[in-house]
Amino acid sequence: MKLIDCDVHAQATEPMLAEHLGPWARAQLERYGRRTPRTTDWYPRARNGGMRVDAWPDKPGHIWGSDPELLREQLLDEYDVDYAILEVLSGQDCYDHPDFAREWNHAINEWQAETWLGFDSRLRGTIAVAHEYPDLAVKEIEERADDPRFVAVLLPASAAEPLGAPKYWPIYRAATECGRPVVVHTGGYVDHRGAGYPSFYLDYHVGNGIVTQGQLTSMVAGGLFEEVPGVRVVLTESGVAWVAALRWSLDAAWELMRADHPRLTRPPSHYLDEHVWFTTQPIEEPEDPSHLVYAIDQAHLRDKLLFATDYPHWDFDSPTQALPRVIDKELRRKILCENAADLYGFPRERPEPAATAGVQAS
Amino acid sequence: MSALGYQLGAVDCDIHVAPAAYSDLLPYLSDYWRQYISEAAVRLTGVGHAYPPGAPVTATAQARERGWATPPSTYEQLAERYLDEAQPGHVVLNCLAGFDTHRNPYFSAAVAGALNDWVRETFLRRDDRLRASLSVSPVSPDDATAEIERVGDDPGFVQVLLPVRSDLPWGHKNNHAMFAAARERSLQVALHAWGRAGRSLTPSGFTTTYLEDYLANQPIAQAQMLSFVSEGVFERFPDLRVMVTECGFAWLPTLLWRFDKDWKGVWREVPWVKDLPSEYVGRHFCLTTAPAHLPPEDTGRAQLLEMLGGPAMLVYASDFPHDHGDSVAPLLDQLSAEDRAGVLQNTAAAFYGLDAVRTYTSP
Repeated sequence: MKLIDCDVHAQATEPMLAEHLGPWARAQLERYGRRTPRTTDWYPRARNGGMRVDAWPDKPGHIWGSDPELLREQLLDEYDVDYAILEVLSGQDCYDHPDFAREWNHAINEWQAETWLGFDSRLRGTIAVAHEYPDLAVKEIEERADDPRFVAVLLPASAAEPLGAPKYWPIYRAATECGRPVVVHTGGYVDHRGAGYPSFYLDYHVGNGIVTQGQLTSMVAGGLFEEVPGVRVVLTESGVAWVAALRWSLDAAWELMRADHPRLTRPPSHYLDEHVWFTTQPIEEPEDPSHLVYAIDQAHLRDKLLFATDYPHWDFDSPTQALPRVIDKELRRKILCENAADLYGFPRERPEPAATAGVQAS
Repeated sequence: MSALGYQLGAVDCDIHVAPAAYSDLLPYLSDYWRQYISEAAVRLTGVGHAYPPGAPVTATAQARERGWATPPSTYEQLAERYLDEAQPGHVVLNCLAGFDTHRNPYFSAAVAGALNDWVRETFLRRDDRLRASLSVSPVSPDDATAEIERVGDDPGFVQVLLPVRSDLPWGHKNNHAMFAAARERSLQVALHAWGRAGRSLTPSGFTTTYLEDYLANQPIAQAQMLSFVSEGVFERFPDLRVMVTECGFAWLPTLLWRFDKDWKGVWREVPWVKDLPSEYVGRHFCLTTAPAHLPPEDTGRAQLLEMLGGPAMLVYASDFPHDHGDSVAPLLDQLSAEDRAGVLQNTAAAFYGLDAVRTYTSP
C-alpha cells in the first residue's frame, strides 16, 4: 500500500440531493434554497473560483467534484491511490430546521453511497449528520453503522457551540461505539467573533488553523476525552504545525488551573497524543523545511499525520510534491498510508488487483 | 533576577495599574458622567471576566499573601509592590479598565479620557521611568482618534492600547484614521489580551471555562496579526509598530509559514501586500514574553528560537501582578548576552524610542 488520501471532496448539486429528499424537504429547498450564507459568497476565493481549473467536468448538470469518473481519472488513477476518504461538506450548516437538517444529511449519505461508494472500491465515505440536533445525528450514525464503506462521522470545524460542548458528546459517543473516528473538517458556521470578521479570503483561509486551536482547547477543557474514552478525532484541513505551541499553552494553563478541571486527570498533551489525528493539507511550508520536522516532533505527530490532497480545491497538495524531502522515508510512509491504515483499520497490504477490478465493474 | 523573579533593570513592557473604583476617576469626568455613574450605580469591575479575584492568573501567590491581589491604584502602591523590588529601567503601564463592556460609545470615550488623565496625574508625573499606554474607546474609532489627538502629545504615552478582542479586526480600514493620529504623535499600538466581555470569543460559540477564555487570547492575537498585514496597514503606515501583549509568542513561526504559503496562492486578492507576510510581521511586530508557554525541553526551546529566527521580536514583560504559572527565564538562559540584553531592554527601547535607558549588563 502506498497512499491513502484522507480529504477528498465529492460535491453534490442541489438537484442531485433533491432526488433523495421527501416531498416536504424538497419543496422547502425549491422555495427557499439553502438558508446558509455561503462562505464563498462572503470570501470569494481569489484563485480559480477556489477549484483546480481542470476539475470542472465537461458534462451538463455537473460541477467540480460531482463526477466520479473525473475524480477517478484525476486522483485515484493519476496517483495510484489505495483509499480516498470522501468528505461531502454540504451538510455543515446550523441554520436549518431539524426536520430539514435530518433529511438533508440523510440525502447526502444516500447520494454518497449510491453515486460514489459503489462506483469504485477505493472510495470510502464519511457520515454527514445534522450535528446541531445530536439525537438526529445519532440515528443517522446508527443507520450507517453496518455499512463498512462509511469509515467516519463528519463534523464541521465551526458550529453553534464549541465542539467540546456536552451538547455534542452523544455524536462522539455514537461514532466511537460503532468504531468510527470523528472527522472535523474546516467550514461550517463561520462567525469570527473573537477578533471580528476578517475582510479577505486570505485571512479567513489562514484563520482555519486558528479556529481549530479553539476547538481542540474546547475538547480538552470540556472533558470530552475523559467522557468518551475511546474517541478518535481527525482534524482536517486546518494545518499541523501549530499543534506544538497549543500543547505548551494547554499544559501550562492546566498546570495553573488544575483545580478548575477535576475531570482532567492528565496533562492536556496526553489527551492529544491519544485521541487526535491531523490531515496534512494545506501543509505549512517553512522557509527551512527541516523546521517542519521540528514542529511534527514537538507535537508528537509522527503517528498522527494523515496525508490529504483536498482534491479538487485550488490548494490541492500533490502526493508526489507536498511533503518536503527532509521528511525521511519512514515518516513519509507513515504519513502517506500507514497512519491512516491503522486509524481506519484498512489492511496495510494492497488487496489483490483482481478483487479490486471485480468491485469496480459492479 | 530579583527574589520575586523580576529581571532587574529591564524595560518591562507590561505591568498593570488600575483605579480602585470609579471614585478615583471622578475628578476627570464631567458632571453628567459623575451623575450617570452614581445614579446607574456603575461599578468598575476591574475587567472581571479577565482577572476574576480568585483566579490563579490574577495575582501571584506572593502578592496575594500580602493582600496585593489587585493592580496598584496609587504610585505608593506601585513603588512598594513593584518598582522597589524590580528596579526596572523603564516600565510601560497598562490600565485595562477601559476594556470593560460599555456599549454606550459616549461613556466609553469619557472613561478612556478619564483613565488617561488619571494615569498621567497618578503615575507619569511621579517617576521618569514610567511610560503608559493610551486608553481609547474600543467601540468607536472616531472617539479613539479624538482621544489620541487630545493627550497623545504627552511623551509619557508611548502606545495606543487596544483590546485583542474586537468587533472588527483592528487592521480594518475603519481604524486607519486612528493609526494616522497615533503616528503623527510617534505613538505605536499595543494589542493586549482580553476585552469585549460577554461576546462569544470563538468562531464556534460560547466558551464555558476560564481556561478556554484565557488561551483564546492567543488565537485571537493571531487573527489580528493577519488583519494588520492583509489590510495593508504597514504599507500605509510604514513606521507603525504593534506590540502583542500578554498573548504568548510560541505560536508565531508556524502561523507565518501558513500565512506566507496562502499569500503566495491568493496574493491577487490583496495587491497592496507587496512583501511576504512574514516580512511585514518581522518588521512591525513585537511580542511580550508573558505568558511564555514554552517547550518543556532545552532542545525544544532552542528549536523554537531557531524557528523564530532569533529573539529579535521578543520584549520582556513581567506582567505584574498577573501570574501565568511559567516564566520566560529558561528561554533567556539559552540566549547570548547580546540577545538577552535585546529582549530585556534594547528591542523595547527601540520600539518605544526610549533614549535614557540605563545600560543593562547581563548578570
